Amino acid sequence: MNILVCIKQVADTEARILFKSDKKSLEIENKYNMNFFDEFAVEEAIRIKSKIKDSQITVCTYGVKKAVEALRTAIAMGADRAFLLDNTGLDSDDPLITSKILANFAKQEGFDLMFCGRQAIDDENANIGAMIAELLGIPHVSAVLKFDIIDEKKVRVESEIEGGKETLEVQLPALFTTQKGINEPRVPLITGVMKAMKASITVVDPSTFEGLSKELIDMTASKISILTYETPKGRPAVKIVDGETPGEKVKSLINILKEEAKVL
Amino acid sequence: MDFKLTEEQEFFKKTIVDTINRIVVPKSQEIDEKDEFPWETWKEFTSLGYLGLRYPEEIGGMNADKIMSMVFYEEIARGSVGFAQSVIMNILMGTYFVYRFGSDAIKERCLYPAMRGEKISTMCFTEDQSGSDLGATRTIAVKDGDGWRINGTKMWITNGPICNFCTVLATTDASKGLKGLNFFLVEKGTPGFSSGQIIHKLGCRGTVTGELVFDNVWVPNENLLGEELGKGVYYVGDILDEVRLMTGAMALGVAKGAYAEALEFSKKRVAFGQPIGNYQLIREKIAEMDTLMNAARLMVNYGAWLLENDIDCRIIAAEAKMYATEVCLKVVDELTRIYGANAFAYEYTPQRYFRDARFFLYGGGTHEVLKDFIGKTIIGKL
Repeated sequence: MNILVCIKQVADTEARILFKSDKKSLEIENKYNMNFFDEFAVEEAIRIKSKIKDSQITVCTYGVKKAVEALRTAIAMGADRAFLLDNTGLDSDDPLITSKILANFAKQEGFDLMFCGRQAIDDENANIGAMIAELLGIPHVSAVLKFDIIDEKKVRVESEIEGGKETLEVQLPALFTTQKGINEPRVPLITGVMKAMKASITVVDPSTFEGLSKELIDMTASKISILTYETPKGRPAVKIVDGETPGEKVKSLINILKEEAKVL
Repeated sequence: MDFKLTEEQEFFKKTIVDTINRIVVPKSQEIDEKDEFPWETWKEFTSLGYLGLRYPEEIGGMNADKIMSMVFYEEIARGSVGFAQSVIMNILMGTYFVYRFGSDAIKERCLYPAMRGEKISTMCFTEDQSGSDLGATRTIAVKDGDGWRINGTKMWITNGPICNFCTVLATTDASKGLKGLNFFLVEKGTPGFSSGQIIHKLGCRGTVTGELVFDNVWVPNENLLGEELGKGVYYVGDILDEVRLMTGAMALGVAKGAYAEALEFSKKRVAFGQPIGNYQLIREKIAEMDTLMNAARLMVNYGAWLLENDIDCRIIAAEAKMYATEVCLKVVDELTRIYGANAFAYEYTPQRYFRDARFFLYGGGTHEVLKDFIGKTIIGKL
């Protein structure tokens, strides 16, 4: 089975992030990781490979040169090969462009099964997976919590829906986005780390893909532009409710909710 | 001059940081509080294969260069010094002589299982009356038939009470002083070989440190680890620089952990209406800590680079160990000041860093001995 996993390198949750003076771009401390939800995608692909003989796992990312680190992490975990779709000189903020590039790569490489993380933890768009599937004309299930292969043409998945879970049977090829809980991503073995350190990562210029050109995927083609970044408002100070007994505290709380918060 | 880590080294660093954060950091406080060997963490961590860090790939190692080794030592010590001591003993000192001089049978029996974490190793230099002064070693090995009979007691042995095998330093000819020293492999189960007193330490808790007793222990000739009798002290010299740089890297790891706590606390702790990181006196401390750590890391990495390139690094290795330790002591001290009274409570982590840092004053040689060595080497014989 040919499994393709699309991943993204994102800023570490502890990285220092500042707005540049124009408030339209960010200055990010040099701490990056593979996107949290993409780790589940890579792990699931590895688990499938361990069950289905002769499977191959390909990982790809559309990003900056530094994103090879995330690709190497995927190889250290157990992926077979990796491709960096280099966005040098192309950087756009439009997820549709990213999806077109990834879909084009998928078409070119061929696949039976595709995985993405359910969303990136930086922009929280959660739309790349669905858009790739649409562009490729294949089925898509998001927020997958359980994945079982029925045969090489069919899978059964459990996905998260509002207030519950849904079980679906899906014809392959198809795309699935992974949700936390589907598996526990492994810590790479040293043999995997060594393989990843030596791995040759193929760098591809996406503007050379059939049907794409620089003008179709660069900043000028973007239908979305960032106007401004703002920080969330700071939380107000915590108010300790006075009262000698629990009863008095409840009375005091109700009074505050009525008179100050005006929610009752 | 190129200070940049290669892409491979960067990737290794990132991977080991993540691995330590996932496996060791969550256990660090528990390891310290229980002060018992953390078998579960040992099993989980060693199953990843890191114990072969510095050995060739052909025997299941990673063949890491010295810079990568320093990155590893720093990061695992950041996670838990107690745990790091046990791991690094297996990676470096405990297996070094077995790898270098052991027969194929010895390697099969000891080295390879130790690289997989299935056996625990150690190296024994120190005795109750001697540490850096190797010439005062009293453990003695006497020729007996096709082997050697060893008698003596070793103290302060990391992993000692739980080791499956050890490399023990003994004199085969006390009249020759340093030139009478040799290394012998002694395996658990050998009659007369036992562990004695366990030392309850101020810091580095979780690693088991104690006494090893050699009471008329007989080992065959192949257990003499060395090409030639009386060369033991030279072999020590071959590993000493790496051990000192490793100790410096470990001290930096503790400093790094303490610094991260201090930084986080200075951002979150509010006093007089604003985070304390807004006050100049706190900023000065953070700036000082960062400056000192960067300077120490440059020294450790420079020493590692010299070592990697087979350039004499005896002085730099000793200086780096000493400086990194002093930096570590300063950084943990500043952490306890930034943290305020809670640093004095066992419930919080600063006290652990404070206790752990003291170990580096002794491990790898006391600073008094190191300074004497550095001065003597620089001035030369007058």
